Amino acid sequence: MKLYKKEGNIVEILSFPKETVEKGDYLLVEDGDAGKALIVQVIDVQFASIPGILEELIRALPDGGEQIRGEDVDPLEIAPHITYIQDASLLIGRIRATMENESLCPSSSWLPSRSQSIIRKLPVPTLLKLVKMEGKFPIVLGGTKDSSLLSIDASSLDGRLNIITGKKGTGKSHLSKLLMLNLVGYKVTVVVFDLNGEYLSLGTTIDGKRNTYHDKIHVLTPAQNFRIALKQLNINVMLGILVHALHLPGTSAREFRRIWQSLKERGMLDLHELSEAIRNWNCNQHVRDALFSRYHALVNSGFFADDAAGSMLLEECLCKAKEHGGAIVVNLQNTSTVDRQIVVEYVLGKLVELLTSWKLRAVFLFAEEAHIYLRETYWDDIVTRMRHFGIFTTFITNQPDTIRDNIYRQADNIFLFNFTNEHDLDVVSRASRVDAETVRSIARDLPPHNCLVLGKVVQDFPMVVKVKALDVKTMGETRLFFKEMS
Amino acid sequence: MQNLQLKPQPLSLKPSLKETIVAAVDTSTMKIGETNTGIVIAVRGANVWKQGGNYRYTRLGPFIFHITEENKREVYNTLEKAYFGFADDYSHQGTPNLLQIPTRIANLLERWLQTMLSKTMANGLILFDGSLTSGTPDNRTQRTKEILGTARKRGNVVLAFSKMTTLRVNGHLITDFLPEHRPPCLFETVNLKSKPPTVLLGDVYVARLTRENYAFRLDIDREISHELRIEAVERLLGNDLLSQSYPETLRLAHILCTFTANEVLAMQHFITFRYGLQIVTRPDIHRLLFGPFGKGESYS
Repeated sequence: MKLYKKEGNIVEILSFPKETVEKGDYLLVEDGDAGKALIVQVIDVQFASIPGILEELIRALPDGGEQIRGEDVDPLEIAPHITYIQDASLLIGRIRATMENESLCPSSSWLPSRSQSIIRKLPVPTLLKLVKMEGKFPIVLGGTKDSSLLSIDASSLDGRLNIITGKKGTGKSHLSKLLMLNLVGYKVTVVVFDLNGEYLSLGTTIDGKRNTYHDKIHVLTPAQNFRIALKQLNINVMLGILVHALHLPGTSAREFRRIWQSLKERGMLDLHELSEAIRNWNCNQHVRDALFSRYHALVNSGFFADDAAGSMLLEECLCKAKEHGGAIVVNLQNTSTVDRQIVVEYVLGKLVELLTSWKLRAVFLFAEEAHIYLRETYWDDIVTRMRHFGIFTTFITNQPDTIRDNIYRQADNIFLFNFTNEHDLDVVSRASRVDAETVRSIARDLPPHNCLVLGKVVQDFPMVVKVKALDVKTMGETRLFFKEMS
Repeated sequence: MQNLQLKPQPLSLKPSLKETIVAAVDTSTMKIGETNTGIVIAVRGANVWKQGGNYRYTRLGPFIFHITEENKREVYNTLEKAYFGFADDYSHQGTPNLLQIPTRIANLLERWLQTMLSKTMANGLILFDGSLTSGTPDNRTQRTKEILGTARKRGNVVLAFSKMTTLRVNGHLITDFLPEHRPPCLFETVNLKSKPPTVLLGDVYVARLTRENYAFRLDIDREISHELRIEAVERLLGNDLLSQSYPETLRLAHILCTFTANEVLAMQHFITFRYGLQIVTRPDIHRLLFGPFGKGESYS
C-alpha cells in the first residue's frame, strides 16, 4: 500500500490486489523518520484511476459487445502485471488518531512521508489495546472481521444516551437484549418499554429452560399483573397522566387537584369515590364533562383499580432489582395507544419520584420505537433533565427520523445496523460523534447482524462487529401466513 | 513522384459473398522508459482474422528490450536472424539512431507476421497496415517481394491500407479528392513513379468503400491481374465489416497491438519487479526552458 493523498483528515491510499482491505478496516500509516503514525479507518474502497483503463475495457469488447476470442502469446508473462495494475484500488480513509510514543491523540495535522511511510493493516485487538478499551465491566458484543472479540465496558453506557438503529430485521432488538442482560449481570436496574412483547422470555433459554437471569426479569403487563390503586399514586404522577397522556386542559387539571386533595384528606381515594366527587363537585359543567371523560379513560384502561392486591408493584420490582440487578419489562403489547401513554407516563413519573428521593440510584431505560408512546416534551426531558436524575436511555428504532435531531447530536453511543435508504442515513449522520461519510459508506454495506459501533463505548474509533448469538427464547417474531402453510 | 493523376472514371464495386478468410497484421512499439544507459522498449504484434462470421486473434508480446548504444546492432541482428534465418548487416545504411530502433524492431516483427500469414493462408485476403512501398532501411524490397510472392502462390491477395498518405493530385491529397460517385468504388492512380531506392510493389488506388466521407490509399500487389484485384476488394466488402471505409479486421489488429497507458505502467512494474531496473524520469528540457510554450521532446 502507498500513501497517495491527504486532504484534511481524509487520506487516499493506493492498494494492490493481494492486499485485501475492506471498508471498516483500520490501517496504520507509519512514518519511521517522524516517529509517528496515523491510525486510519477505511471508509470506502474504489478502483484506482489508472490511465488507459477505459481503452483497455473497450478493447476487450470490440465485436458488438461480445468478447473477441483469441490467443495471447505472452512469453514474459506481463499479463498478470497488467491485471495487477488494473485491479489496483484506492482506499479512502479517515484519520482517527495519531500515535506517538504509544499514546494516541486525535490530531491529523501532520503529513506523513508519501515515499517512506509504511502502511499495514491494524488488527482490531491491537487497536483495542492501543485505545485501552479494557474495563472492569466488559460486555462482549460479538466478533470483528478478523475473528477477534469486541468488548465494550458497561461503564461506558453509564450516564449516556444511546441509540440502536437500523432497518427492519437487522438485529437491533437482539443487540438491545444483549446489552440489557449484560447490564443486569452487573446488578444494574433496567426498565424496558416492550412494544412487541419481544423481551418477555428473556429469562428462558431457546429450549425453554430457565436461564441465569430468570429471577431477575420482571414482566409487568398493564391491566393484568400491573395495576395501580389510586391511593398508591402521587398527585403529580396522576396529573402528568391526565395532562400529557389524556390532554386534560389546565383549568380542569386545577379542579382535579382540588378533588384529589379533598378525597385524600378524607382517606377516600378510590375510583368510586373519585367518580362521585366529580359528579358532585361544584364546578363548570364543561370542566365536569372533561373530568368525567378522563375518568372513564382511566377506568377503561384497566390499569387502575381500587384493590391492586395480587398485582406486582413497580416500586417493589425496582427495589428488588436495586439489590441484585434486574430488568423490569413493561409489556405494552396489545395495549391501546392511550393506555400505552398512560402506562409510560406513570412509569416515568414513578421513576423520577424514586430517583429524586434516592430510593433508586440509576435506571437504564430501553425504549423501543419510543415515538409511539413518548410525548413530545419527554424527548428533551429524557436526554437532559432525566439524565441528571439517573435515567440513562437507549432508544431502539427502525425509523431514525422519528428521533429528533437534537437527540442525535447529544447521543453518546450509536449502534448502527444496515440502512440502504439515503434519507435514513442522512438522519443518523447528524450525530455529533461521527462523520457523515463513515455512516453513509459503512452502514450501507453492513450485512444483517453486523453493527457499526460509534461513540464513547469504542472511544470514538468506529468498529464493525457481528453481534453474538444469545441463548434466550426469541419472541416478537413477525407472524407469517405462508410459514404455517408450508 | 511526378504527374500523379487519378482516373476520373471510378471502378464500381459489388460486394462478393464468396466465403473468404480476411486476415490482418499490425504491430506497435512503445518506449516505456529510459535508463542511465539506454531505453526500454516494448513491441507487440497481432494477427486478426475473420472466419465464419467470427473474429479471432493471435497476439504476440509484449516483448521488452533494453536497448543501448552498445547492444542495438546486436539486438537487431539477433532478431532478424531469429525471424528470417539470416541477418543483413545494415552498417552500409548507416547506424540507426537509438530512437529509431523501436520502429525497426516492430517492422521486423510485422514482416515476420506477414510472412507467416502468407505461408499459412490460402485463397484469402491479407490486409497490411501501410503501403507496399519498399526499399527503405526498415523495409527491404526483397523481403516484401518474397512475402507478396508467397501469398500469390497460395492464392492470397495482399491489400495494404494506409491511414495517412502524402500523395497529392494538383496539390490536394489523393484521399481528399472525392468525385461524386456512389461508393463502394476505387479510383486508380496513373503516372505514379517512385524515387530510387524506393520501389512500388503495388498499384495505388483510392478506396472509398462506404458512404461515410472517408477514403484511404490502397496498394494492391501489382503482379496480380486487374480482374483479380477488383474481385479481391469485392470479396473484402462481402466478408468483412467496413466502417468509415476501413476494414474491421485491420482495425482490430491495430487496437489489439496498441499499448494502453495501464499496460505501460504494468510493463514498468514488471521490469522493476523482475529485473530491478530503475526507470529514470528525465526532465523535459523543452518544458524547462520554454514553460507552457515547450511542446515536449520529439523523437522523430
